[in-house]
This record gives sequence, structure tokens and C-alpha cells, in this order.
Amino acid sequence: MKKIDQRDIKLFKKKIIKEKVNNFPSYFKSWVKTFTGSLTLFCLLILFVLPFFSRNESFTHVFLRQFSLAMIFSIFAASWDLLTGISGQISFGHAIFFGIAGYLCAYLIKYQNFASPIGISLAIVIGALGAVLFGLGIGVPCLRLKGPYLALGTLAMSLILLKLFLMGSLADWLFGSEGISALPSLSDDPVIEYFILFIFMIITFIILIQVSKSKFGTILKSIRDDEVGADASGINTTNYKIYAFMLSSLFAGLAGSFYALYIGAVNPTGNFGTVISFFAILMASLGGLSTISGAALGAFFFIFLEYGLIEIGGALQVQWGLVLDIGLYKYAIFALILILVIRFAEHGILRPLLEHLKDLWDVLLGR
Amino acid sequence: MIEDIMNMLFNGTLTGSIYALIAMGYSLVYGVGGIMNLSHGAYFMLTGYLLLWMLDSPFLAGLHWLTVILALIMVTIIGGLTYLLLIKPLQDSHVAVVIVTFGLAFLLEQVIIISPSGTEVWSIGELRLFQGFTMILGYPVVHQYVFLIIMSMITVLLFALFINKSKLGKSIRAVSQDREAAELMGINANRILLYTVMISAFLAGLAAYLYLPGATLDGPAMGWGYLTNSFAVVILGGMGSLVGSVVGAFIIGYIISFTNVFVPYGPSWAHLVPIIVIVIVLIIRPQGLFGKKELR
Repeated sequence: MKKIDQRDIKLFKKKIIKEKVNNFPSYFKSWVKTFTGSLTLFCLLILFVLPFFSRNESFTHVFLRQFSLAMIFSIFAASWDLLTGISGQISFGHAIFFGIAGYLCAYLIKYQNFASPIGISLAIVIGALGAVLFGLGIGVPCLRLKGPYLALGTLAMSLILLKLFLMGSLADWLFGSEGISALPSLSDDPVIEYFILFIFMIITFIILIQVSKSKFGTILKSIRDDEVGADASGINTTNYKIYAFMLSSLFAGLAGSFYALYIGAVNPTGNFGTVISFFAILMASLGGLSTISGAALGAFFFIFLEYGLIEIGGALQVQWGLVLDIGLYKYAIFALILILVIRFAEHGILRPLLEHLKDLWDVLLGR
Repeated sequence: MIEDIMNMLFNGTLTGSIYALIAMGYSLVYGVGGIMNLSHGAYFMLTGYLLLWMLDSPFLAGLHWLTVILALIMVTIIGGLTYLLLIKPLQDSHVAVVIVTFGLAFLLEQVIIISPSGTEVWSIGELRLFQGFTMILGYPVVHQYVFLIIMSMITVLLFALFINKSKLGKSIRAVSQDREAAELMGINANRILLYTVMISAFLAGLAAYLYLPGATLDGPAMGWGYLTNSFAVVILGGMGSLVGSVVGAFIIGYIISFTNVFVPYGPSWAHLVPIIVIVIVLIIRPQGLFGKKELR
């Protein structure tokens, strides 16, 4: 009796998957017709045609690279959002995964003859897998902590790793405060680098959004909302939390490897600093917590805010001879933004903005 | 050998008494309001810089006592403002409180980086009350640190008396035991929480005043280290338990100084002590030494 039941369920599942695959074009069509679908597609199209606007050096090497950076950070912020927004495990030490993957990738390329194109892609994968192992190692003891304690526990871990990597006496193994430099970039042509990151960003977001909508995501959300209730209804909460940790650290590690290759060097403050964890928190909160797509909005907004501030500082200096070192002020400004956003708009500012836009859209279409 | 042991004992007591002061306030705030205040380390760091700036100002030249009192009052007010402006409106959401206090700590660090003192190492040695040192069993015992240890002991005792005997202390305990019942008895829980956060900021400031004149200001990022170490202390001692945080502080202090003195590459490993303690405690006894049974 039992066997037949299971076989039926399997057949049923297969049927659903077949239906989904067969009806994919129509699903896609109806998705495009919705507001979010058309907007997403529009943004992706713009991102796709952007590199073809100009072959000017200053355009491809400066402006386009800002977009690449924003893509790396949107992967990173989305991975943070999966862990904190969706499954409610607050992590203030996401820089751990980011940094570990970057260091591993850099070490393999620089000291282990992984410099060929295949080697680089292997190094990226190994870096991300190393981050997953770290996520497992950190996740298991840390999951005894709940809520705010987990936040502090992960923060403590990242600070201690930062100190270890900065230590002079361990410099032989961990490369000291200098780190590893002169790494090859993903590609010599910034346009190709841009497209590689573009593809990876799309894949990451499709996976993360599908995960958050799937049964797995629903279980994670139930753990976030009522852990005791989830436990009582037969969900092994510890296992699911560890899966969430691993999935999140995988994508954070991917972003970390890309970042190491993007910058061309790794060093403790640049890859392990509290600033990096702070970036993820800021971007995801700007976009709106527990909406994976908000992380991308936040990341793009944030990177261009930073770029804009630096440009304004430069313009001021040229126009009126004002010497304003924006690099010094920007983090203070960002911290202020984070405090104000959390204090007055807990659900982010970009996402509600989009919702207002959607209302406008509906009015325009006469719905 | 004998001076190594002396070194370990003295430095352990020293570290323990600093962390006792910092962790006590931190643990109190958690015990009373369930608030995780991540800007606690920043109060410590900020007091050091306030003292530094006020020592340079022409108005307070020579008036060291006034400088210290003003700095402590300022840090207490900043603690109160943190509660009123940031924590109180967000009390219902733990995530928001944690993120917002993290943001505040980050902001304070950045403000100090922007300020003229920047990221350099400074000394506020003028505030030392006692100069010089005495050789005891071949180890130089700095007088200022002896003063620190005695002052810290006195503060801990006074604080215990305050919590157990005074009216405000009794209401603090009442709120920490059962907030709703305390409110029904006519205690204004929000005001009690405000006082608690202010007291904790004052204790962090006091620790900074006692310790930093004998040491140096190691740059704006030093607050984070004190935050994570006092977190380890609180985990070891048990969340919200004052006895636990004092005992935990001394245990961690002795472990750190033992690692520093007797383990090869000691200073590198000493950084790992808090995290190892956290992991071991969480695996063996999640509620800490003196904590309540459940870990919320």
C-alpha cells in the first residue's frame, strides 16, 4: 500500500514538472505582462544593451566597471537577504564568507598555478565551496544562538578573523596586512567581465527567488516567523537553518571570489572588514528586507550613490577649489542613511517606491 | 618563571576588572529590556576620545577632574539619547534594534575617523593619577593599574548594593523579572530602561577613564574588540546575570593573560580566546555559568 502511494506521488510530481516545462512560454508571457515582470525585463534589457553604447575608454573602464561592482554586491546582498530576511538568522559577519572565498581564490591563482582561464573558473568555484565549508563550521555552533545573539556571534567571528589575518606573526601563512596582490582579472576586456558578472547575477537571482518561493523557502519563512511552531509541526529547524547558512555562504563566497578578481588583490581590511558586512546590511535594508530583488535595487542604488558622491567631491574641488575628501565622509553618510532607514522606514525605501509606481501604472492602464 | 606567573596574575586581574565593568552594564541592559546594544563598545571608545579632545581644549586646561566628570556626563547622555531616539521606537523588533545600534557604533567610529584625531594612536597619560611602578617579585606593577583594580572592585560592590538596596535598583530588578507585572505596580518601565541604558553607558565610560590613561587610544576601531570580548564574558557568565558577568570577566581575563604569557605566539592566539570560549560554552552549557535555564 505504502509503495503505491509513494509511486503515485512521484508520478504526480513528474507530471507537474512536465506541465511547467511545456507551459513555460505561456508562464513567461503572463509574467511579462505583470508590472514586476515587465519592469524587471526592461531593466535587464537596459543592462544588456548598455555596453554597446560606446567603446570609449573612459566609458568602459570607469562607468561600466561601476555596474560590474554593483552586480557583485547585489549577489552578496541577496545572499545576506536569504539568511536574514527570509530565514531570520541575523548575520553581521557575512564578510567572513566573502573574505574566505576571496583569499582562497587568490591563493590558488597566485601560488598554485591556477592562472589559466579554466584554472580561474575552478578557483572561483573552489573559493565558493570553501565559503560553504566555513558556513557549515560557523553555522553549527552559532545556531545555538538565537536572534540578536547570532548577530553578535557572527560579528565576533568576523572581527577575530580580521585580527588573525592582520597578525604579523601569522604573516607566513595568512599573508599579513599586505594580502595577495597582482591577480589576473576575469577578462582583460571590461565588457566581457561585465557580461560574465551579468550572467552570474541573473542565475543567482533566479535561483534565490525560486528558492524563496519554493517549499524550502516557505519552511525557512515559517522558522523566521515562529520557530517553536515550525518545530512542533515536524520541521527539523536545525537542519533547515544549516541549509540556509550553506546556501547563503555559497553565493556570498561566489561574490567574494569575483570581488577579489575584480579588485585584483585581497587584503584583510578590504575583504574581511566590518565595512563589508555593513555594506550587505545597508544594501538589503535600503531595498527592503526579505525581498530578494530588493537587494539588487539596493546594491545598484548604493554603488551609484558612492560613485556620485566621489564625482561631486571631484567637481567641487575643480569648481571652487574645495578640498573635500569624500572617501573619508562617505561611510559616515552611509551609516546615517542606515540608521534613518531602519528608524523611519523599516521596510526599505526602494521597494515601497516601486509599489507606488505600480499604483500609478495601474491608474494609467485604467485597471 | 616567577615573574611570568606574576605577569599572568596581574594582567589577568587587570583585564578581568575592565571587562567586569563593561560587561556588567551590557548584561544589565539585556537582562532588563532584552535589548542587545551593539554600540556599547563604542561608548568605551568615545569616552577615550572625549577625554583626549577635552584635554586639548583651552577652557579646561589644568582642570582634570572637571574634564573627567564632563566626559562621563556626556557619554551618559549619549547613552540616554540612544535609547530615546533609536531603541525605544523600535523595541518590538529585535532585528531592527540590533541593526540600528550596529549602525550607531559604525557612525561613531566614522565620526572619529573624520575628526582631527583620525586613526592615529594617542595617549592621554596626563590623566594618570598615580605615576611609576613598584617591582614585586621581578614584575613591574604599575600604580595606575592597581588603582584601576581597586576602583573597579569598589564600583562593582557599590553597583551590587545599588541594585539590591536602593529603590531604583529594586524597580530595575522588578522590570527585569516581569515587565508587565512591574508596570501594573506603577513602575514606568520605559523610564527604568532609559536609566539602565544610561547606567551601562556610564559604566563603559568609567572603564575607559580608568584604563585608557595607562594605555593608549588604539584608533577608532578599538570599540569592536571590547564589544566582542564583553559578549564572550556575558555568554560565559550567563545572559542577564550580574554575578555571572563579573565572574566571567575574571575567568576570561585570566585565560587571555595565560595565553599571552605561556603560549608560543601568545598575542595572536589571545584574539581567539573569546571565540573559543563562546563555542565551548554554547556546546557544553548554552545558558552560561549563572544563566537562567532557557536561552531566549
